[in-house]
Amino acid sequence: MEQLINTLFNGISLSSIILLTSIGLAITFGLMKVINMAHGEFLMIGAYMTFVMQQIFVKIFPESVRDIYYFAAIPFAFLVTFLLGSLLERFVISRLYGREIDSLLATYGISLILQQAARSIFGTQGVNVNAPSFLNGGITIGGCTFSYNRLFIIFMVALCLFLVWLIMYKSNFGKQMRAVMQNRTMAQCMGINSRKVDNITFAIGSGLAGIAGCSVALLGSIDSTVGQSYIVNSFMAVVLGGVGKLLGTVIGSTIIGSASIFTEHYTSSTIAKAIVLLIVIVFLQKRPQGLFVIKSRSLDE
Amino acid sequence: MSVNENVLEINNISVCFDGFYALTEVKTAVKRNTVHFFIGPNGAGKTTLLDIICAKTKPTSGTVMFYPKEKEPVRLTGMKEYKIVTEGIGRKFQVPSVFVNLTVTENMILSLKGHKGIMDSIFRKPSNEDMENIYATLEKVGLKERADVRAGSLAHGEKQWLEIAMQLLQKPEIIMLDEPAAGMGKPETFKTGEILKEIKKDCTIIVIEHDMDFVKQAADIVTVLHEGKLLMEGSINDVLADKTVQAVYLGRGGE
Amino acid sequence: MKLIKKQGDNICFTVIVLILAAMPLMLNAGMLSGSSTVLFLGKCIAFAVVAIGLDLIWGYTGILSLGHGLYFALGGYCMAMYLKLQQTNGQITDFMHIGGIETLPLAWRPFKYLPLTIILIVAVPSLVAFLVGYFMFKKRVKGVYFSIISQALTWAAYSIFIALSPYTNGNVGITEIKTVFGSIKGDANRANMFTLFYVSLAILVIVYALAKFLVSRKFGKLLVAIRDGENRTYFSGYNVSSYKTFIYVLSAAIAGIAGAVFVNFNGSITPSQMTIAYSITMVIWVAIGGRGTIIGAVIGAFLINLCEYNLSSGSMVEIWQYIIGAVFCITILFFKGGIVGIVKNQIPAFITGVKNKKSVPAKEGAK
Repeated sequence: MEQLINTLFNGISLSSIILLTSIGLAITFGLMKVINMAHGEFLMIGAYMTFVMQQIFVKIFPESVRDIYYFAAIPFAFLVTFLLGSLLERFVISRLYGREIDSLLATYGISLILQQAARSIFGTQGVNVNAPSFLNGGITIGGCTFSYNRLFIIFMVALCLFLVWLIMYKSNFGKQMRAVMQNRTMAQCMGINSRKVDNITFAIGSGLAGIAGCSVALLGSIDSTVGQSYIVNSFMAVVLGGVGKLLGTVIGSTIIGSASIFTEHYTSSTIAKAIVLLIVIVFLQKRPQGLFVIKSRSLDE
Repeated sequence: MSVNENVLEINNISVCFDGFYALTEVKTAVKRNTVHFFIGPNGAGKTTLLDIICAKTKPTSGTVMFYPKEKEPVRLTGMKEYKIVTEGIGRKFQVPSVFVNLTVTENMILSLKGHKGIMDSIFRKPSNEDMENIYATLEKVGLKERADVRAGSLAHGEKQWLEIAMQLLQKPEIIMLDEPAAGMGKPETFKTGEILKEIKKDCTIIVIEHDMDFVKQAADIVTVLHEGKLLMEGSINDVLADKTVQAVYLGRGGE
Repeated sequence: MKLIKKQGDNICFTVIVLILAAMPLMLNAGMLSGSSTVLFLGKCIAFAVVAIGLDLIWGYTGILSLGHGLYFALGGYCMAMYLKLQQTNGQITDFMHIGGIETLPLAWRPFKYLPLTIILIVAVPSLVAFLVGYFMFKKRVKGVYFSIISQALTWAAYSIFIALSPYTNGNVGITEIKTVFGSIKGDANRANMFTLFYVSLAILVIVYALAKFLVSRKFGKLLVAIRDGENRTYFSGYNVSSYKTFIYVLSAAIAGIAGAVFVNFNGSITPSQMTIAYSITMVIWVAIGGRGTIIGAVIGAFLINLCEYNLSSGSMVEIWQYIIGAVFCITILFFKGGIVGIVKNQIPAFITGVKNKKSVPAKEGAK
């Protein structure tokens, strides 16, 4: 029983990281029909930014206040990846609207460049982030230990999710975004600057990946391939959950995250990967286009 | 076999979408080797009627009967979509969809009847007869000179003609065209009308169209639909002269 | 001029083959410094073969597989298992011993025999591809959804191969093997190397000819039709999903053959040939060479690997990653047809553009 709860807990914390990366993927795919292969590299950048922030604090501030570096790192990582995302959208993605497969490939080129840049700057060896001291340890309830850093990650993701929900469904910008997603031409006719909407949406998605990077930094060492290890799961979550709907992404990520942790716990991480893939394939037999379908008067889009 | 024999009978078709009647008790017949137009204002139920014939939509009540040449009559209502195609009823959708990266001839070869398996595609070359057939059909729609051009670089009208030719190659008894002249200029529309007159020698053509000049040029029989009901039917001159038709359709700034 | 336009790709391919065929002769004549160049070109031949297979499904049919490394590696492992057993005389290998295996595992036994091995090199990738293709294409999973699944498949297979280390030697892979024609190390065994090289070259020619034959038939037109309008092709009465499965399986089989050729020249196979990154590298060759033309795939595979071979040693490694990333991205953004597209379309268009500009003022002058 205790083991079950522990596994569930780990499953939720992995799901929440996957969720944070897949939201950006799902929204941009729904909005612009582009797949961003460099999304995992935004996660990597977020993780490295956490490391950079820590180094800065170690140099400048006295030991007593060093721990708060992490709270500075989160907005910093968000900001850096937000800006990079905005640039990427402006110069690359915006030329690839509707060309799903080409967008996937072009952004893979970007991801090669970003990975190499990380190696050039930070070296090929992984770097480690020291979790703030108040995140060490955990609370024990009835034999189950909940480590603080995982609890913190779950809390942070919940907060981000809430903010995204506010933006998407309660703000004026969110209304515009959903309008563009549903009918781009019509939205443009209503005077919505769809270029701007695209750019900001893409940047927000990238920023969220950056925050996911912050949480990944708490869990292990960071190297140039850290994004790759999360991105495949995130892609699968998008396939499962469909695009453009927040709830779908949440469900997709939860399934993928929990499924991989659970099978990993009872068998091995290898079989876990195979099982997750199998789940997705079986699911696609039922709903081949994920959870959304495009309807159009023409035969092929 | 007389020329005026019916090829298609639509018997008291009604379609109800959530309490709204898109078609009410429509009863008409299409005669063999004619160009039969369905006209009417938007929402009159023209496209729904085509959907009923090719089984894209199921009627709430009523039947559609198809009388093929030299074969037993077929009840189309309740049949599967692709079966209807093989029975000999082709439909061209509103948006032209030809394979843009293939040449006109290659597009036609893909539309040839039969031999659709993988091994046939690899090892079987189209027979001389097939090729003659293709060129003859292209001649009919006036695309013979364009046979080796990439379909993507054809003009809009030419794409529509190519698609009609691809349908013809299947040797259907009935071809249904949804607004074939949409987006065409006057000369192109006129040529489309001439093409229809030419191909009706071999099959029956059902057309939905708004352009009244086009209707005048090509129609043998015109059926006017209005709010899901059959308003009147007859030759184009009868229709144009009819007071009710003028009131509901032509009068409202149509043509 | 017309001949070049019509047969340009075949002429180009012939030139490539002739240059390759001359390489061993040049080595014998002492014009090459060592046999490493020939060995490297042998690997390039394998890459060109897999690129042709990839081009058939991506360039022609529009199915982007991000998992062809898997089929390449499966073929490679089949070959390597045979070659390893040749060295151990059919006995268990060292790594099996360490892994605690006493007798030769069942999965290894067919690889004692060359004919069976050759069959399996084609059959194993084909079977995997058939299962994937059947379940995906029948349900009309397409576009990026398929790409993501193929990527995940490679990812799962990669970790399975590492986990099964008593059978596969995990991360290290199967190493220290000779070729089908015996050892090729040292000057004494040069004849073996040349046989291997020419046999590989013949495989490339056969695969090229097969691909050219297929795309020239109605079958090839159908692949393009499926790429440009899948639903329309269904409505023309073709069973698109079986066509897609067929070409996907064929492409996987070609990749398997390429993997087997590769192992002979490389002397080892590791799971790194099975990664997503390696699979996408193959896509990069095709994209830069020119998708949708068989010759483009060949040119891309040779060109990129030659550049990498010459650039990615020492301090250039870093720069190479930047270059390939940027070139790939720019190719996708602006030159969809790759190098072949530039030569065939963009340059002629540019020339006519310049000519027209010149001729316009001339006409005005005449008025």
